[in-house]
Amino acid sequence: MALKALDIYKLLPKKNCKECGDPTCLTFAMKLAGGKADIELCPYLSDEAKSVLGASTRPPIRLVRVGMGERFFKVGEETVLYRHEKTFYHPPGIVFRVSDTQTPAEIAAVTRRVRDETFTRVGADLRFSGIAIENTSGSAETFAKAVATVEAEQAHLPPVLIAKDPAAHAAALVHCGSYRPLLHAATGENYKVMCALAKKYGCPLVIRAATPDGLARMVKDCTAEGVQDLVLDPAPENLGTFLTRSTQIRQLAITRLVPELGYPVYLDATATGQQDAAVALGIVKYASVIVTDPLSPGATKASLTLRQNIYTDPQKPIQMNPGLYRVGTPDKDAPVLMTVNFSLTFFTLQGYLESTRVPCFMLIVDTEGLSVLTAVAAGKLSEMLVRDSIKKFGVENEVTHRKLIIPGYASPLSGRIEDATGWKVLVGPRDAAEIGEFLHEEWKK
Amino acid sequence: MACELNFGWTATIGEVVIGATKADGGTRRLSYRIGGGTTLPFMEDQAGSPSPLIALEICDYLPFWSPIAKNYCGDMTNSVSEWAKAADGTYGADLIRLYLTSTRQRNFSDIASLGKVVEDVLLASSLPLIIEGSNEPKIDSEVFQKCGEVAQGERLLLGTAEAGKYRSIAAAALAYNHSIIAQSPIDINLAKQLNILLKEIGVQRDHIVIDPYTGALGYGFEYSYSAMERIRFSALKGDSDLAMPMICSAPDSLTIKEVREAEPAVQDEMAIQWEFYTCLAAAAAGAEIVCVRHPGTIPLLRKAFADMKKPGAAAEVR
Ligand code: B12
Ligand code: SF4
Repeated sequence: MALKALDIYKLLPKKNCKECGDPTCLTFAMKLAGGKADIELCPYLSDEAKSVLGASTRPPIRLVRVGMGERFFKVGEETVLYRHEKTFYHPPGIVFRVSDTQTPAEIAAVTRRVRDETFTRVGADLRFSGIAIENTSGSAETFAKAVATVEAEQAHLPPVLIAKDPAAHAAALVHCGSYRPLLHAATGENYKVMCALAKKYGCPLVIRAATPDGLARMVKDCTAEGVQDLVLDPAPENLGTFLTRSTQIRQLAITRLVPELGYPVYLDATATGQQDAAVALGIVKYASVIVTDPLSPGATKASLTLRQNIYTDPQKPIQMNPGLYRVGTPDKDAPVLMTVNFSLTFFTLQGYLESTRVPCFMLIVDTEGLSVLTAVAAGKLSEMLVRDSIKKFGVENEVTHRKLIIPGYASPLSGRIEDATGWKVLVGPRDAAEIGEFLHEEWKK
Repeated sequence: MACELNFGWTATIGEVVIGATKADGGTRRLSYRIGGGTTLPFMEDQAGSPSPLIALEICDYLPFWSPIAKNYCGDMTNSVSEWAKAADGTYGADLIRLYLTSTRQRNFSDIASLGKVVEDVLLASSLPLIIEGSNEPKIDSEVFQKCGEVAQGERLLLGTAEAGKYRSIAAAALAYNHSIIAQSPIDINLAKQLNILLKEIGVQRDHIVIDPYTGALGYGFEYSYSAMERIRFSALKGDSDLAMPMICSAPDSLTIKEVREAEPAVQDEMAIQWEFYTCLAAAAAGAEIVCVRHPGTIPLLRKAFADMKKPGAAAEVR
């Protein structure tokens, strides 16, 4: 049950010392009530207050950070079951697995791949998130060596250490303990030792149990040991089990019915025997850390794109700032191409323009992030908008001609744009892929 | 505390039957009853609830088709019968979705030839059939009439009705007892409106499959994904005008940049994964029929759906 701000305030020290980052204890209490702050930010809480406030004030799903340096990632702090209710905030870390039985060359190659591979879409660099090292050999020493091999690449990737034996973790942590690796996994048998290791190195810990009930119980045990940064592995044996358990955990966590389940979820995509399916399902259905063997070229792009899609705010399409953009160094005779400020549209067109090698201007008008067709259908692209944008971005000072190329799909507006702007309108092709041909044939004339 | 998943939903997704066997007056070797869901996809209690169906899309006129699918299938694509036969046998689809792309040629008027195409496909395969008619208002009426008539008794799924064009499809469906696909551009309210329009001219709820319109992965898919979730939940909450099963097809998947420009050595794989990731996510959002153009996607989806249907041991939280 969530507490009201005033109930929380009663439990705070009322020093108004600002150390929590809030001006007063009362404003801090209000944040806590909204799930927007963590009680640990106040250093003066009594143990009693902590235990009362504990689970009921923190965000329904705890934010957990994996890794150090530039490539660290944060997961958790989600608030909804369906993205249309608000948005999903923290995309899952997709982590490539290597085994300590592989050769150092193989391990290093996977590490370099995760370090170097980027797939650029709509202006964002999409990458895999980290590297998981699994102790398949059974030897702590071999495991530690594999981890050392990864670290020797200086890739600074968030590590996930997978071993049943805490001794193997202890050996590996010597090499990567200061990089906030995620430890997998604490179980009923070993949790005390695993908690001690997680505490010693200050790193997050996965706990593994096959039922939400078992997970909730272990969360209590591990928090009692003093480890707060937990991740839940519901140990699914197939895709259906994953779907059911992860949905259950998310639902029980965000409604705070079982606050102990308020932690990000871990998915071993390789365990289901259907890795690509598991990765796809994990992305849409609440996995926060997904461990997979290195993916094929197709699955690489498809999974990174799906993750980008699902974690885009449904209220705000990814947008560009409206304005006049240059491709190459256009002069006063260079063509001006008008388009909308939906990022996907912008980057698609820009890509094709760059490959034509014709220096030009792109006039980006504000359609509130709608694509050309959608903006035309919604009436968001109008001749007035085009006229005002030409003025506002000073296009008339940049070129001496008065010719505007508009997207093929905006052709119904061509006459009206001519009337409103006094510019001659050339209707371009519908598909930006044909823009090169169009510029060479129509513009040069 | 027992914590089963409980969303307090009371309603059920309506059912639609596709395909008719001899017993039902058709010639198909099987028919499907889709819909009937009462909760989140893949989480039904009863073990027998259906898996999403996988349709392979084929066409009768190749210039308007993805070269990737054409190259993969090879010569058979020159004969719609051979292609349909392979969809059924070799590729193992649940359904065939035939696009009458020949109607998209300029000034097309040979309606009689369409009857022949539909007959050929019905003979070549005994799977239930989805038929996509024309996009041209001038010939729509005749095209759908012809398809409906030739396939009378087969319980086709006819596509695609939109807000601006639904009368000719509806007429053919009503006359010959087929069902129809009702498409609206990624918007729950428009989907509902179209269903109401169809209801008003007499198309029954159990003859409608909703197509919420699927943007390709990376090209609007997230909107479609959420539209599907929303339609499903509104239906489960009791909105009977949205309580129909859904079909998902992302026909642009094989033409988007990532797939079109893939290195030749990985192009098929890229196409397959693009369709696979899209369809799997769509099924998780509630699609009961998913459509693909690359045959290589079918076995992957089939295996994944089977595994997704496996129930998690009913877990209880104290
Ligand atoms: C995703 C999507 C949406 C999203 C919005 C996404 C966005 N940010 O715009 C949502 C769900 C919100 C949406 C809403 C609507 N949509 Co919509 N939507 C789509 C969808 C599936 C993809 C759009 C997209 O992202 N395209 C990709 C971008 C890159 O395309 P683009 O901007 O056109 O750019 C290309 C070309 O135009 C060209 N180009 C771009 N700029 C330039 C410049 C020059 C000079 C040149 C030469 C070329 C060029 O290059 C690009 C690549 O080739 C399309 C279907 C489709 N396949 O297009 C329907 C579609 C555009 N939507 C449609 C409709 C009707 C609507 C709505 C009016 C309906 C409604 N739901 O109420 C609303 C309107 C919006 C509103 N009121 O808020 C219809 C439009 C019908 C028509 N022909 O007019 C479409 C075609 C779907 C359909 N078949 O019915 N939509
Ligand atoms: S740190 Fe604690 S005592 Fe200080 S203002 Fe914040 S809530 Fe009050």
